[in-house]
Amino acid sequence: MPPFMTIDRRTMLAGMAGALAAGIAPGALRRAVAAEGEFKIGLLIPLSGPAALFGPSNQGCAELAADEANAAGGVLGRKIKLIPTDAGAAPAEVAKSVVRLMLEEKVDLVIGSHDSAVRQAVEATIKGKVPYIYTPVYEGGDCTANLYCLGETPPQQIKPSIEFMMKEKGAKTFYMIGNDYVWARNSNEAAKSYISAGGGSVAGEEYVPLGAPNRFEEIVTRIKGAKPDVVLVTVIGADNVNFNRAFASFGLDKEITRLAFLLEENTLLGIGAESSGNLYSCMAYFANVGSEANQTFKAAMKAKFGEKVPQLSTLGADAYAGVHCAKALIDKAGSTEAAAVAAASQGLSFAIAGGTATMTGRHVDKDMYLAMCKGTEFEVVKTFEKVASGQSCPV
Amino acid sequence: MDPLIVTQILNILFGVTTLAMIALGLAITFGMLGVLNLAHGEFVMMGAFCALVVDRAGAPFVLAVPLALLVCGGVGLMVEMLLIRPLYRRPFDTLVATWGLSLLLRKLAEAGFGLGFNSVSVPLAGTATLFGADYPTYRLVLIVVCVAIIGALFAWYGTSRAGLKIRAMVGNPDLARALGMPVKRLATTTFVIGSCLAGLAGVMVAPLVPVHPYLGLDYVIKSFFVLVVGGLGSVLGVVAGTGVIGGLDSVMSAVFGSTQAYFTVLVVAILFLWLKPRGLFSHG
Amino acid sequence: MANLATLIALLVLPFAVGDYWTYQLGLYYLYAMVAVGLGLCWGQAGFLPLGQAMFFGISAYLSAILLKAMPGSYLIYLLLPLAALVSGMLALLIGLMVFRRDGGSGPFFSLITLALSMLTFQIASNWNSVTGGFNGLAGIPGLPGIDDFRANYHLAAVALVLVLALASWLYRAPLGVLWRAIAQNERRVALFGFNPHHYKALAFAVSGFFAGLAGALYAPQQGLVSPQVVGFAFSAELLVWTAVGGRGRLYGPVLGTLLVGSMTAEMRDNIPYWEVIMAGFFMLVVLAFPQGVVGLFTPVTDRLRRYFESARLRARIEAPARRETIAQEPLTIEAARVSTSGINILNDLTVAFPPKGVACIIGPNGAGKTSTFNLITGELPASAGSVKVGALDITNQAPYRVARLGFGRKLQAPSVFPDLSIGDNLAIALWSNGARPLDLLRPSLRRWSSPIIGELAARYPFLCREEAAASDLSHGERQILELAMALAVQPRILLLDEPCAGLSADETSRAVDVIRWAAERLGNAVIIIEHDMALVRKIADRVMVFHNGALLAEGSVADIQADPAVQAVYVGGQK
Repeated sequence: MPPFMTIDRRTMLAGMAGALAAGIAPGALRRAVAAEGEFKIGLLIPLSGPAALFGPSNQGCAELAADEANAAGGVLGRKIKLIPTDAGAAPAEVAKSVVRLMLEEKVDLVIGSHDSAVRQAVEATIKGKVPYIYTPVYEGGDCTANLYCLGETPPQQIKPSIEFMMKEKGAKTFYMIGNDYVWARNSNEAAKSYISAGGGSVAGEEYVPLGAPNRFEEIVTRIKGAKPDVVLVTVIGADNVNFNRAFASFGLDKEITRLAFLLEENTLLGIGAESSGNLYSCMAYFANVGSEANQTFKAAMKAKFGEKVPQLSTLGADAYAGVHCAKALIDKAGSTEAAAVAAASQGLSFAIAGGTATMTGRHVDKDMYLAMCKGTEFEVVKTFEKVASGQSCPV
Repeated sequence: MDPLIVTQILNILFGVTTLAMIALGLAITFGMLGVLNLAHGEFVMMGAFCALVVDRAGAPFVLAVPLALLVCGGVGLMVEMLLIRPLYRRPFDTLVATWGLSLLLRKLAEAGFGLGFNSVSVPLAGTATLFGADYPTYRLVLIVVCVAIIGALFAWYGTSRAGLKIRAMVGNPDLARALGMPVKRLATTTFVIGSCLAGLAGVMVAPLVPVHPYLGLDYVIKSFFVLVVGGLGSVLGVVAGTGVIGGLDSVMSAVFGSTQAYFTVLVVAILFLWLKPRGLFSHG
Repeated sequence: MANLATLIALLVLPFAVGDYWTYQLGLYYLYAMVAVGLGLCWGQAGFLPLGQAMFFGISAYLSAILLKAMPGSYLIYLLLPLAALVSGMLALLIGLMVFRRDGGSGPFFSLITLALSMLTFQIASNWNSVTGGFNGLAGIPGLPGIDDFRANYHLAAVALVLVLALASWLYRAPLGVLWRAIAQNERRVALFGFNPHHYKALAFAVSGFFAGLAGALYAPQQGLVSPQVVGFAFSAELLVWTAVGGRGRLYGPVLGTLLVGSMTAEMRDNIPYWEVIMAGFFMLVVLAFPQGVVGLFTPVTDRLRRYFESARLRARIEAPARRETIAQEPLTIEAARVSTSGINILNDLTVAFPPKGVACIIGPNGAGKTSTFNLITGELPASAGSVKVGALDITNQAPYRVARLGFGRKLQAPSVFPDLSIGDNLAIALWSNGARPLDLLRPSLRRWSSPIIGELAARYPFLCREEAAASDLSHGERQILELAMALAVQPRILLLDEPCAGLSADETSRAVDVIRWAAERLGNAVIIIEHDMALVRKIADRVMVFHNGALLAEGSVADIQADPAVQAVYVGGQK
């Protein structure tokens, strides 16, 4: 998952009160006594820092999935216990928490929703000793042993949506604006190949630094001059909001279509109704997906959390899928032994918020949705069924 | 002229004036009190949240202005009395303490409004045509308002009695105190004015950006660089500093791209800090 | 001894705390090393870098690249210290370049380091081919022979103790005394012939090296280096740890890092508003406990230390003789012009001071007396004219260079180093002429003494209370202490600016005796600015009268008093 706002800006104030009492007290005292029969899952979600806005949704969806999985007999007959842990801090901090999960909580499996730098730190810490399910959208290409990726990859998001724009909307020229880092650049590289395959052309490509105070008036003016049919948006978080608001304020929203690849419900709230005209997003889940499975999922969330139901988005839905994937995967493998799990993963089918998904090459083939913004809501205009992840990690 | 070039010139103008507006409050507290207020961005953030509250209540946008002045002025007053006053002449400690304050204000905003993005609807939607170029009306109005506020402050500081007193206090606080001037009260007033300006700037940018607790961080760093280039304590310096930083940023991003522009701004700021710490207009 | 005890304690700690804490502490020991460096800059030398993460990160990247290039090679143990040294050298370079400029070491320096660390962050996240971009460099192999987190813990513990040992040695050495002196009164240090910019740059270099060492070990310990390690957030965290722990003491930053850092890791997941609590607590520390947590214990630890140290024999060591300085020649100022902000302070001042004996400068306020001293010691630049000792031109030389030539100076307001002991105050004066740069690393120099100080101490017994802080002295005693410091330098030319201001009649006459005695004992030139004519009469061999930045009259006391021009100036309200 791309870092939603820069990690550079993270508040990591540290603490002190009560430290004298407990600071370096023997860890042995607080070592958890592993309840026999519990299947422990370390749930790495952002609880601090700017990305923490996704924390409640991630946690809520994962808890619902755990309830459902436990009602269906748990994992290998053991009850799932989630241990939510902050993954919003710097990689070394998160790695430290993972060590605690491994040594003290003795977790059987780890589910993570965080950026790629943290993922690498977690991989280096787990060293393949337990299965690690990484749930959010990411740039693809990670085949670390015992890692299972559920999120959208560039081929899944970009291929169908660009083909749609070219075939159905007659788009010929594209303009790209992204944050200057691996996910955005990978996505745009993928996009270029589909554009040229379809006979289109790229009118311009711009990157703004991650974690800098960016302004978009100049870029919007250049886009205005270039007059592309479609703008591909891979800026993220606050930059995403700023760009889209500037774009609309210049009146370009009426003439030019925007297609964003990391636009979910929270970001759309920031963009606001008056700036969301002609704006599309392609993700594997929207809260407004009309499928029966999603209605059931939303009803279950409502039943569990009542009025306090967290904002649903693809990131929360992925966390939900993560827990169901864990159950299906381990039940099929019969143990958490790495080779058995890897073998079980191929062709594995499991429940996700919008329907079901199939795992191949330790990534997931699934339905993708192209949604058009209507005010601050998404309206699905096209469903692409069973889109391949384009990844093929050895199993 | 090519409408696109007009638009780019307006963009530069817009960038420079809004940046000047945000840097102004910081310049006042730094230049006049020697207080590096790292929480300045959080006052901007509070102003933006005031606009959000007004927007959500369905009230006219301009009502956000008195609300922001009240909130930011009040918080500024409290902060000056409790945190800044005991630390005058301990610049490092103020730096560290206001950094703690920025954290606190951010977390309080998070407690009150959550971490999610919010949007304030643009009060003057649509575009206006100027020299053949379509430009967002609200941004045009902002340019005018910023210029007016900066000009008014410039005039007030240069000509009014209070401005004279503040200049005297900046020049020689001991003498000012000996002459029976209420230095403490003047310092408090100055800090509150700085906070109010930040709040005002927050209201102004609120319809352009996502309103969220981390909003202020985007602005405070750039404002510091403006100060550095322009020099401290003079309104002219702030305007010149924003001209250099904002202009450079715009031109570089137009020619080479945003990442390179950001690099250039950082390098220029470092060079100024190093070679000309008293700003553009210093001698010797 | 203390370091050895610390080392043993840290090495056996894993048996008590279990695996997770062993892993966690291994990381925090590295952070603590950086914090010790920050404490050295902020608590000792008095400047605040805001970008220490930059040095940590640069060495971490270097170390990562080296480790990936030569996995398993034992050569890496030689290269890692070099990776740390790169950061140290970089810090030295930045320090040398920045400190000598106008901005000096105040908030401008802090902002420069902040901007540099932001720049480094951008480079680290954009230079994909070298740094791996935003996702960083992953899969860094561990150090050969260090195969698990326990070994990593032990390595980090050894490194931390090494850093602590080095730092505690520097704090005890004359270098540390000079750093603390610079933090209190940089100008005064320069007037003793030390270039404060170099010493501050050295402090910065040491802190950069500490950070670099920690960074070089971080790469193999964590196996991943991403741009966050150079980011501002990490620098800010270090700042909090150091401030809360106590920046002024060696163990403060370590305590802060271990307590605050590990508490946060524990609490963040459990207490929702932990960060609010922390922010409030942090502000409270800055406001009410500037010495941090460790400051709560210092009254006890200081007493313990004094108890143990007083038991030890603290024999004085004779300071070596003065190095070669300028010859005994007259000091001449020729047609010197000095102006600030458009106003001429000195107007073509021409005056010559004899190489021996006591000369007094008198004149009304604003005559340019103190400015003349500032001109001589290089603190005010001359726009025209020259200052010479014999044939040697010293016009517009840096103050520390002038001081090294054999100038001593006592400032008008007593400016001793208040937070240093009387002994250290005097010792600094002795080092100013007798210590070679490398000597400043030998703690024994703090026991230097000289016959002059011995004789002065016989007249003023309070000078023997070496352990007492100078801030405990009365105003009069401080004047005497500064006078003693100026004399201890054994200057060829001694500049005294109203040496008896604020002294009682009795103290004044004793001070006058001392000055006369010293002038004869040292056989040097003494130039005194004085208002009190009675005093001038008692002390002066020769009198120069200044008026409007120029020499009005010169001669013996009697000549001057008879001079009608002088009388004209002094008619009315002379002070």
